[in-house]
Amino acid sequence: MEKPYRLSVFFCTRIVENEAPLLSQAPESVEIRPVPMACSSMVKDLFLLKALEAGADAVSVWVCPEGACRHVQGNLRAKKRVQRVQSLLEDIGLDGRRLTFFNLAPQDRVSISSRLEEIAALLAGIGKNPAGPPRSRDAEPGPATPAGLEPKAPDTHPG
Amino acid sequence: MIVGEQKPVQEILQMVAPHRKFLILGCGTCVKTCFAGGEDEVALLASALRLASRKDGRPVEIEELTVERQCEDAFIAEAAEAVSRNEAVLSLACGAGVQAVARRFPRSPVLPGVNTTFLGVLEHQGLFTEECAGCGDCQLAVFGGVCPFSRCAKKLLNGPCGGSQEGKCEVDPDTECAWHLIIERLSALGRLDQLRAYVPPKNWQTSLSGGPRKLIRKDHVI
Ligand code: SF4
Ligand code: SF4
Repeated sequence: MEKPYRLSVFFCTRIVENEAPLLSQAPESVEIRPVPMACSSMVKDLFLLKALEAGADAVSVWVCPEGACRHVQGNLRAKKRVQRVQSLLEDIGLDGRRLTFFNLAPQDRVSISSRLEEIAALLAGIGKNPAGPPRSRDAEPGPATPAGLEPKAPDTHPG
Repeated sequence: MIVGEQKPVQEILQMVAPHRKFLILGCGTCVKTCFAGGEDEVALLASALRLASRKDGRPVEIEELTVERQCEDAFIAEAAEAVSRNEAVLSLACGAGVQAVARRFPRSPVLPGVNTTFLGVLEHQGLFTEECAGCGDCQLAVFGGVCPFSRCAKKLLNGPCGGSQEGKCEVDPDTECAWHLIIERLSALGRLDQLRAYVPPKNWQTSLSGGPRKLIRKDHVI
């Protein structure tokens, strides 16, 4: 059965190497669309909005703790972009809380689980994304990350 | 380059409200460099406007296009088909670009999405500062390469004013005192003596104050 809420999680693969730990800890009410990134600096403001456009009810960006980014400033850049998009969401009348940002230590499964539960509780309070595409009850859930915008797994410094 | 910033999204939403299908036209030169109107900003704004309109239950159709320069007709022409498919154009170029597009397409409303702010330089990533007022009679040789017309809050030509503190302007302590910079620079060049000469009041006739200006290069006009 389709879960009521969709969450796109953009995460640095130093926190968890793949999506399995996220999917296995998904709250009952939340379907997770994981987007792995070789460094959180790869997250672009546009990806976050596109995820909401594609039907995510919330978007979360997970980065390494400050001072622990292997590309030095990747997580700081990601934080600034997230803050900008949060204020843009407020400006257009969408609740900026739909976009969350967390610093997580590598392999910290306990925090992952509690962050996911926090988001599930938030979604239960604020409801579905009112700007998502129309959803029919029988329809297959669409992509929460639109085609072409999935960050590629680079083997080089993302800059 | 010309520096500008995107208008607040609420103002843009009000401007585009009468239109259900419009083109966001970016410019790939100055405004791209200052993150106001290049391809990325066009895409981000389009996405934000689509979300806003869907939330309000009035979905809009937005086409996105960025041309190399909106102040040159040869590049504007590339947008002709896209313009003809849409009810209006939201231009993310500077004011010159907006007007050039409007001139080319007289039957399309052309709306400005950017507040054109100044002629400046990129000091470091994300910081742009005003450095030229386009006065039409450049006097940088007199001032050691630092422009007091655009960088001194009081536009003093025989400064400093006496309020400068530790190299900062008394009007705005976040701004460097232009006269401090002028003196430092002329000292480094060994040309401080230059400042003994009185600089007479500027004739602003060559600036915008003398009316709209035109530049004609006869060798290029056929
Ligand atoms: S239209 Fe304006 S912003 Fe674009 S290239 Fe010309 S001067 Fe620069
Ligand atoms: S003197 Fe005039 S042209 Fe030269 S930098 Fe200053 S404002 Fe610009």
